[in-house]
Amino acid sequence: MLEIKNLHVKVADEDREILRGVDLSVKAGEVHAIMGPNGSGKSTLSYVLTGRDGYEVIEGSVTYKGEDLLAMDVDERAAKGVFLAFQYPVEIPGVATMQFLKVALNAQKKARGEPELTTPDFMRLVRERSQKLGIATEMLKRPVNVGFSGGEKKRAEILQMAILEPTLCVLDETDSGLDIDALKVVADGVNALRSPDRAMIVITHYQRLLDYIVPDVVHVLSKGRIVRTGDKSLALELEKSGYAAYADEAA
Amino acid sequence: MDALVQKTAAETAWIEGGAGLSWLGAVQSKAAANFARSGLPNRRLEDWKWTDLKRLIDGAYPPVGAVKTDAGEIDALVAASPLKDIAATRLIFVNGRFDAGRSLIDASSGVEIVPLSATGRPEWVKVTSTDDDPIDDLNLAHVSDGAALRVPAGARPEGVIELCFVSAPGEAATVTTRNVVVMEEGSSLTLIETHLGNAVAHVANTVTEIDLGKGARLDRIKLQRDDATSFHLANLVATLGEGADFRDFTFTLGARVTRQQGFVRFAGENANARIAGAYLLGGRQHADTRLVVDHAVPGGASRELFKCVMDDEARGIFQGKVVVRRDAQKTDGKQSSHGLLLSPTAEFDAKPELEIFADDVVCGHGATSGEIDDDHMFYLRSRGIPEGEARSLLVAAFVGEAIEAVENEGVREVLTELAARWLAGERGAIT
Repeated sequence: MLEIKNLHVKVADEDREILRGVDLSVKAGEVHAIMGPNGSGKSTLSYVLTGRDGYEVIEGSVTYKGEDLLAMDVDERAAKGVFLAFQYPVEIPGVATMQFLKVALNAQKKARGEPELTTPDFMRLVRERSQKLGIATEMLKRPVNVGFSGGEKKRAEILQMAILEPTLCVLDETDSGLDIDALKVVADGVNALRSPDRAMIVITHYQRLLDYIVPDVVHVLSKGRIVRTGDKSLALELEKSGYAAYADEAA
Repeated sequence: MDALVQKTAAETAWIEGGAGLSWLGAVQSKAAANFARSGLPNRRLEDWKWTDLKRLIDGAYPPVGAVKTDAGEIDALVAASPLKDIAATRLIFVNGRFDAGRSLIDASSGVEIVPLSATGRPEWVKVTSTDDDPIDDLNLAHVSDGAALRVPAGARPEGVIELCFVSAPGEAATVTTRNVVVMEEGSSLTLIETHLGNAVAHVANTVTEIDLGKGARLDRIKLQRDDATSFHLANLVATLGEGADFRDFTFTLGARVTRQQGFVRFAGENANARIAGAYLLGGRQHADTRLVVDHAVPGGASRELFKCVMDDEARGIFQGKVVVRRDAQKTDGKQSSHGLLLSPTAEFDAKPELEIFADDVVCGHGATSGEIDDDHMFYLRSRGIPEGEARSLLVAAFVGEAIEAVENEGVREVLTELAARWLAGERGAIT
């Protein structure tokens, strides 16, 4: 589903490379975890995949379902099924969550040439998906993420994922700022979305999240390169030994 | 000295132009004399530094006479008023004169309605001049008509009243109107002022005087869509009695140059004023709001919120002054103005001023100006919303925070729809 080859990326106005030759292959149905210390380039990878401004690809390619992902606009990528659950979901005053979800879903459907959802059908979908995540409808009347607690913001991200039904989900530090109960709710929501035709990339600093979202493959990203790949036991190993060894290796 | 300063064509046309309503008598002649002496304000006056009318009004716009108007055109403008379906009573003024035939009056409302030009006016119909203000001087010198409304004590009509001012003079002219609103004790009313103009450049000069009695409440919504070649000069003068509640919302979409001023005076204790507004400007439009909120007595609360959107080379200005006099303890005054620039050549200037002479008050102000937030854009687009739609959503949300201040749901929906249509490219005057 996703092929990243020799990806080199720098911040637009700086010389320093943040990603220095990333290779990654993710198949449909798989869950990959990308772990690494702060500053290793984890978030940059998520932004490059989703097309955020401010990053420059110097070398390499990203192919998604056989197409050049890097050539697509941000919203085009979303319509083709790429979704980023933000580490810090943005608060957007004045835009009601419900309205935002409807506009987003129908924009994606329109781009794919599918019929748009009517308001009653959309309401039914939202009610059903939000119930599963323990999100009160009242919360969806509020502006996007405004006044939401850290846990509510992360749950709202997963709700968006459940409604938009992407095929490639990138979860950026979804565990940050969550207590254990909230973490379980979020992980349950993510696990419910696991399916043979959907792939996930779970970016995390800590192993804790991977107790609940069990990955098929674990990668260690350090100084802009994937320095080690293994199965879920690699995450446990990292929990014990920390990232110090990799910092040396990559240096 | 002043006599040596050459008058502009606009000033000459006004000084030499015919007088307005004759019953104003001495008030009128004094105002005319004041204007002949002061002329139009220029940028050397602090309050006018961003809106130099002497330079901006670059032609002669004599007071409107008996003009030939195209009835069809007038009908179309009257029918195009976006808020017409909300009003139970519509008073239509065409080129500054009351048009009884086109008006619709709901007699059951209990509101006393008198055109300012009527003979045999009740005693409560009177005007008060504003010191040192050229817009007011010009208004009093040339006013031809307007609405005088009196809501009797305790009357709370549910029907909304619209004052619809349609200007289509067919030639360069000034249309001058003045409204007098008397809200007696415990009364309440929702009042809409609609200003619509056609494609011939003109000057609209309009003043609304409001007197709010004890515990009275007035919600005023002013929608301005004069033609984008025109000048719109407007004053609001409101006096708030004890416990009165005044809600004002001005929506500025039209005119080439808009200067609107609000003078709000807290005359009775514990009154409340919420003054909000929004601009949607494009092309080379220029809109300047100046507010002076005067807390003369204790316990007053005032809130001002302006959200201004400027595209192309448009320029928005907000000048808000809050005065808290020595006796006005426990005053709670907050003011904020925000500009959203949609193009690199658009501009927003804000000048908040606080003059506080009392020591036990809570007052504050904030002003911001900026472009659309990149993080907001990325977030919306990452969910599949195309760039144009994401932009519209964010601009609508920005303006929406001011429109929220309007309590009448029907009015709020119409204003929201107008904003959406503006964002979709329907700009300028209504045609």
